[in-house]
Amino acid sequence: MAESTKIQEPIGGIMEGVTEALNADAVEALAGGEPVWLAERRREAWSAYERTPLPTTRLEEWRYTDLRRKLKLDSLRRGEWAERTFDRSGAPERLVQAMDADRAASGHLVEFDGAVAHVDLLEELAAKGVTLTPLRKAISEQGELLESLLATEALPASAGKFQALNAALWTDGVLLHVPRGVRLELPVRVTRWFSAESAGAAHFSRTLIIAEEGSQVSYVDEVLSDDLPAQTLISSAVEVFARPSAQVQYVSLQRLGRGAFHLSQQRTLAERDSTLDTLNVSLGASTARLDLNARLLGPGANSDMLGLYFGDEDQHFDHNTSQDHVAPHANSDLLYKGALDGDARAVFRGIIKVHPGAQQTDAYQTNRNLLLSEEARADSLPNLEIEADDVRCSHGATVGQLDQDSLFYLMSRGMPRSVAERLVVMGFLGEVLSRLPLGGVVEKISGIVEEKLHG
Amino acid sequence: MSDTPILTIRNLHGKVADEDIEILHGVDLEIGRGEIHAIMGPNGSGKSTLAKTLSGHPGYEATDGEVIFEGEDLLEQEPDERSQSGLFLAFQYPVEIPGVSIANFLRTALQARLDEDEELDLFDFQDQLLSRMELLDMDPTFAERAVNDGFSGGEKKRNEILQMAMLQPKLALMDETDSGLDIDALQVVAHGVNALAKENPEMSFLIITHYQRLLNYIRPDHVHVMVGGRIVRSGGPEVAEELEASGYESFKPAAAG
Ligand SMILES: Nc1ncnc2c1ncn2[C@@H]1O[C@H](COP(=O)(O)OP(=O)(O)O)[C@@H](O)[C@H]1O
Ligand SMILES: [Mg+2]
Repeated sequence: MAESTKIQEPIGGIMEGVTEALNADAVEALAGGEPVWLAERRREAWSAYERTPLPTTRLEEWRYTDLRRKLKLDSLRRGEWAERTFDRSGAPERLVQAMDADRAASGHLVEFDGAVAHVDLLEELAAKGVTLTPLRKAISEQGELLESLLATEALPASAGKFQALNAALWTDGVLLHVPRGVRLELPVRVTRWFSAESAGAAHFSRTLIIAEEGSQVSYVDEVLSDDLPAQTLISSAVEVFARPSAQVQYVSLQRLGRGAFHLSQQRTLAERDSTLDTLNVSLGASTARLDLNARLLGPGANSDMLGLYFGDEDQHFDHNTSQDHVAPHANSDLLYKGALDGDARAVFRGIIKVHPGAQQTDAYQTNRNLLLSEEARADSLPNLEIEADDVRCSHGATVGQLDQDSLFYLMSRGMPRSVAERLVVMGFLGEVLSRLPLGGVVEKISGIVEEKLHG
Repeated sequence: MSDTPILTIRNLHGKVADEDIEILHGVDLEIGRGEIHAIMGPNGSGKSTLAKTLSGHPGYEATDGEVIFEGEDLLEQEPDERSQSGLFLAFQYPVEIPGVSIANFLRTALQARLDEDEELDLFDFQDQLLSRMELLDMDPTFAERAVNDGFSGGEKKRNEILQMAMLQPKLALMDETDSGLDIDALQVVAHGVNALAKENPEMSFLIITHYQRLLNYIRPDHVHVMVGGRIVRSGGPEVAEELEASGYESFKPAAAG
C-alpha cells in the first residue's frame, strides 16, 4: 500500500489507478513469455494508462457515473489466468441453464473466471476455414492476424483510460475469423461465467471478430454470474470488423450478479456495403457502463444499433454510444429502450457524428425510458455533430411513466395490476427485439427479461 | 338466482377523482339477466363516466349510492376483479398497447382467470380465437398485430368486440361502439353481438350510444335517456324512436336540476 502511494505522489494525479494489483509488474508478468510485438503492445498500453487521468464527472462522458465513488480500484485483486477444462456435471446451475438454451449454434466457447474452458465448432465450418480460438491460444496459432488487428485499428490503447488498461492486462478472450464468402447459418454462442472465487478481482478479456468480404455471421456473447460478495471489475473489449459486403450481428447479453462492475467497450468497423448490427442487453451487475462506437467506413455500410436494459434496486447503467459516419452513403439507426424500477438509474448519451464529406448519410438515434417507480431515474442526452450538408439525421429521447390508461385497459380485461404492468413493459421493450432477426436468441432474451420482471 | 338482476345501480353519484367536478348526479338503473338495455344521451351527458365508474377507472370516483353486480358490491372491487366477476367494458376510445399482440393480450387475460397452477390450453385458445375472428369478419393475421396500435377507428371497435367474444362476460357495457363505423362495419359488429346474445341467453348488454342507428340492428328491451348526469326517461324501444323524431330537446332536465 505504502509503495503504491509513493509511486503516485511525485507525478501528482497522472498515475491514477496504479495499484498494488494493477501495475507495471502485472504487465511484465503477462508480457514475459509473449512474442515481442505483443509484449511491446502491452507496455505501450500500460504507459498510456499511466499517463491518462482517471475520468472525473467533470468530463461530459462521465458526468453521471462517478468512478471514484463507484469503482474501488485500490481494493481489486488481479484476476489470475488458470488452465481450465469445462466439466458440465460440476458446473453452476445458471451456467448450465444458459448453455442449454444455446444448443442451436455454429459453435460454442465457454470462459470460466476469465479463462477459456471449452471450444467447439461445427466441422463443416472448420473445414471452410472458420476459426473460433481462445485469444491466448491465438497468440501462437494466429499471431499475424492478432498482430495486425488486436488493439490497433479498432480499440487501441489511445481510445481511453480503460481501453488502455484492458489492452495492457488482458488475459484471455475470443478470436473469431470468418473467411471470405463463408456464411454461418447459426450463431456462435459464447458464455462467460464468473464464479464466487473470481469476486474482488479485476478481469480483462477481449473479443476480436473479423468477418471477411461477403461472409456472414452472428455472435452472441453472454456474460453472467451469481451475486458476487465483493466488487468485481469485468472489463470486456470488443472489436468487430465487417469487411466489404459482410453481414455481422453482434449481441451482448449481460446478466452479471450484484457486486459486478461491468465495463464493456466496443468498436465496430463497417466497410463498404457491409451490415454490422449490434444489440446490447443490460440486465445485471451493480454498475454497467457501455461505450459503443460504430464506425461507418465505406459507402453502403449499414449499422442497426439496438439496446435494451431493465434495472431495479440500485442498479446503475450508463450507455455511451457514437455513430461515426466517416464515409458517404451509409446508414445507422440506433434504438435503445429501457425500463427502470426501484432506485435504478440509467444514462444514455449518444452522438451522431457526420464527418466532412460523408454526404447522403442517414443516421437516426432514439432512446426511450419507462420509469416504473417514483425513485427510478433516467437521463437521456442525444446529440448531433454534423459536418456535411446533404444528410438525413434525427434524434429523439423520452422518459415516461407507466400510463394509467394503458394499465386500466389491461386490468379491465381481468389482469391483476402486476400482470398488466409486466405486459406493458414487455411490449415496450419488445420493440427492440422485434428488430433483430435472430429467432432463438430473441426468444431467450425475452424469456430472461420476463423472468427478471417477475422479480 | 336467475330472477335477481345482474346489475342494480341506486342513486349513484360520481365525480372526477382529485377534482370537485360531480358528473353523475344520482343514477338509478336495473338490468335483468339476458336483457339488452340502451342508454342514449347527448354528448357530455355522463354516459362514458357511468361506464368508467362501473368498470373502476381510477380517474373517477363514486361519492354516493351503490352498485350491486352479481350480488356483490361492485364499487369495492378492483377493475380486474370486476372483469373476472363478469363485467366487460367495450371502450369508446380503446387504448394502444404497443408491442403486445392481440393474441398475447387475450391469452394473458384468459390465463389471469385461471387458478395459479392451471395452464391455459393453447390449442383450444387458438381454435376459439380463429372462430371468433371469423364471426367478426377479421383476417387471421389481425391477432398478430399490436393491440390497437395504428388501427383505424373501425378496427379498434371490432377488436373490442373480439375481446368481448373471447372473455364471455355476463354483462357487456358497450360505449359508443357504433361511432366511427361505416354501415358495413356496423353490421358486422351488430351481427357479432347478436350471435353472442343468442349463444348465451343469460348475457346482458348495456349499449351506450347517441344515435338510433345501432339500435336498428340490435333491438334493445329497454331504452334510457341520460341528460346532465341523470336518467330522465326510461321505456321500451319506442323511446329510441321518439328520440330519433324529436331529438334530445324535449328531455332537457327540469331547470331546478
Ligand atoms: N376527467 C375529466 N375531467 C374533467 N371533466 C370531465 C372528465 N371526464 C368527463 N368530464 C366531463 O363530464 C361530462 C360528461 O362526460 P362523458 O361522461 O364523457 O359524457 P358522454 O360520454 O355522455 O359524452 C362532460 O362535461 C365532460 O367534459
Ligand atoms: Mg362518451
